[in-house]
Amino acid sequence: MTNGAKILITLFSLGMIVISFLIGWWAKKKATTAELYFGSTGLFGPFIVGFSSMAAVASAFAIVGIPGILYSSGNAMTYWMLSSAAFAMAYIILGKKIRAMAEVGTVASLGDISDLRYNNNKWIKILMSIIIFIGSIAYLASQIKAGSELFSHLLGLSPMIAGFVIFGILILYTALSGEVGGVLTQAFQGFVMVIAGIIIIIAFFSMTGGFGEVLKVAATAGTVASGEIVKEFNAGFLDAWGIMPRSVAMTWMLIPILGTVGQPQVLTRMYALKDPKDMPKLGLYASLSHMVVGFMAVVVAYGVLFLVGKGLIPPLANPDTAIFAFADYLGLYAQLFVYAAILAASMSTASMFLTLSANIIARDLPSALGIKISPQKQINASRIFIFVIGILSIIFSLTSGNMVAILGSFGWGTLMSATFPVFVIGLLWDRATSEGVLSGLVVSLILNIVSLILDRSGFKWPGSVPWYVNVITASILVTVVVSFFTKGATGEDLDEKVKMVIDL
Amino acid sequence: MKLKGKTTSMVILSTVLWVVITLCGWMGHHIVGMVLGVVLMLIHMMLGASRNGELDKKFFIYPLLPWAVLWTASFILSEYHSNLYGTAMPDFTILGFHPSFAWTVLTYWIGGMLTLTAGFVLYKDLWLSEEDWDNFRNSLQEINQKRGLAK
Repeated sequence: MTNGAKILITLFSLGMIVISFLIGWWAKKKATTAELYFGSTGLFGPFIVGFSSMAAVASAFAIVGIPGILYSSGNAMTYWMLSSAAFAMAYIILGKKIRAMAEVGTVASLGDISDLRYNNNKWIKILMSIIIFIGSIAYLASQIKAGSELFSHLLGLSPMIAGFVIFGILILYTALSGEVGGVLTQAFQGFVMVIAGIIIIIAFFSMTGGFGEVLKVAATAGTVASGEIVKEFNAGFLDAWGIMPRSVAMTWMLIPILGTVGQPQVLTRMYALKDPKDMPKLGLYASLSHMVVGFMAVVVAYGVLFLVGKGLIPPLANPDTAIFAFADYLGLYAQLFVYAAILAASMSTASMFLTLSANIIARDLPSALGIKISPQKQINASRIFIFVIGILSIIFSLTSGNMVAILGSFGWGTLMSATFPVFVIGLLWDRATSEGVLSGLVVSLILNIVSLILDRSGFKWPGSVPWYVNVITASILVTVVVSFFTKGATGEDLDEKVKMVIDL
Repeated sequence: MKLKGKTTSMVILSTVLWVVITLCGWMGHHIVGMVLGVVLMLIHMMLGASRNGELDKKFFIYPLLPWAVLWTASFILSEYHSNLYGTAMPDFTILGFHPSFAWTVLTYWIGGMLTLTAGFVLYKDLWLSEEDWDNFRNSLQEINQKRGLAK
């Protein structure tokens, strides 16, 4: 890459960071109450919330990691990346219930909803908060690592300097404006991702001539080698399943689709919507924007397969470089938008999980432990924790590579295993008891940790099914079974107003 | 469609489905697992879309049922065309895609998204009407007044 290109990419990306900061700065005047600062409760319309939800869901892994997986193992992962219908499904399942809970009582966090549903059961709140906190830190660290290393590699800076510049600004505006700035900046970053996606998709078609040409190349290229790096091609590689065990494809369909309704970045946005009757529009905006970003990841993988198969670039030594190989081949305009998209994806997801983890420490855990803190003090405490967690995460993610990789296992599935019993079962079924949900959470926490240890020691799960599927199933099963033998927070013990939400 | 009184049965069914789908994954029965996954999602959407224990038939007939048919067909057709051609070049393509993958793009991704999202927008009142929401808020207000609460 030329120096001129590097300067332009840096300026372009810097522009995006500055605009994000200005949005965050402007938003701080709106974050006047705890409900607004922590939850943006009932504040935004469907367009803003839709783009924000999509941007927080589509992490840097979606833009960088997924094309690499598709390049190396074929189409099975498209079930995950093309899961755009999941937003409408999530809102149909839980949208009105979550939004309605914000009318029942003060709702500024997921912990507040848990309190309302389970009569302030502190153990449910504590356990759910711990699991979500672990998942949040895992997401946060991986976004910081991805964004910092990307720009350190580009500019020849130390990753620590790149990390503190990019994520230092993010920490500042997030601390100032809380979730109000979080939602607005994520919507802006989502918009950048969509623009980048449209440009990359057009570039793919003009470069390859379409998917038929890629299939022809895959069918005829055979074995392409460069030194010790070998890439095998055949037409079957581009069928629906690729070369992964097909049970993995099954998982990659089920977990992202049903898991979307259990992701904090989707759940918290449900109560950020001003008018619940706009939920279908929210689904439309989130799905359409997700379609563009999801398809971008697919065309990047197909583009690189085309280039390698035709011998225009050598086979990739590291599949995670697929998006850079594609952008480098296309030239400066693609590089500009690819880097901006990756930065936008990492910033939007990082800011979401930074506020979430700080809110758990400053608000949810103290209240679960019976420590009463005034709303203004909660906001001040959260600002401090955003700085502390943010700075520690930068240092941790850039100095403990192995730990980040280990923590990275706690992601989507871990969050889903904690939220599914509490919110999905709890708000759809009035007989879900507090004891049942608590048991499900205990099982989730223990099995997440045990599974991680087994996974790291090389244990192979039956059918190559990812371990989090077993954990999710176990936590749901235990929640439902224990609910049949217990009574807490059901029947007369269930608040009349919450019963109305379940029936709504 | 009256779901009142059937909610517990539907929750039990969905829990059994989670277990069976996981076992399908363990034993390599991915298509059975995926089709049962569609049933699992359908149950959740039926519960989520019902109002006072009743799911409007229209909402079930569109968008829920066509979505379920599209996805079930998608998985079965993907499997069929994958097994038909193996690693060989297929003798036809759909919009340039391998026919097995074309079903992922056309029915799982675009078809599924458009059916569910457009149906949700078109029939939003069958999911939550203005009247439902106003009634809910009024009832809340009455309860709050009785209890002497602000919210």
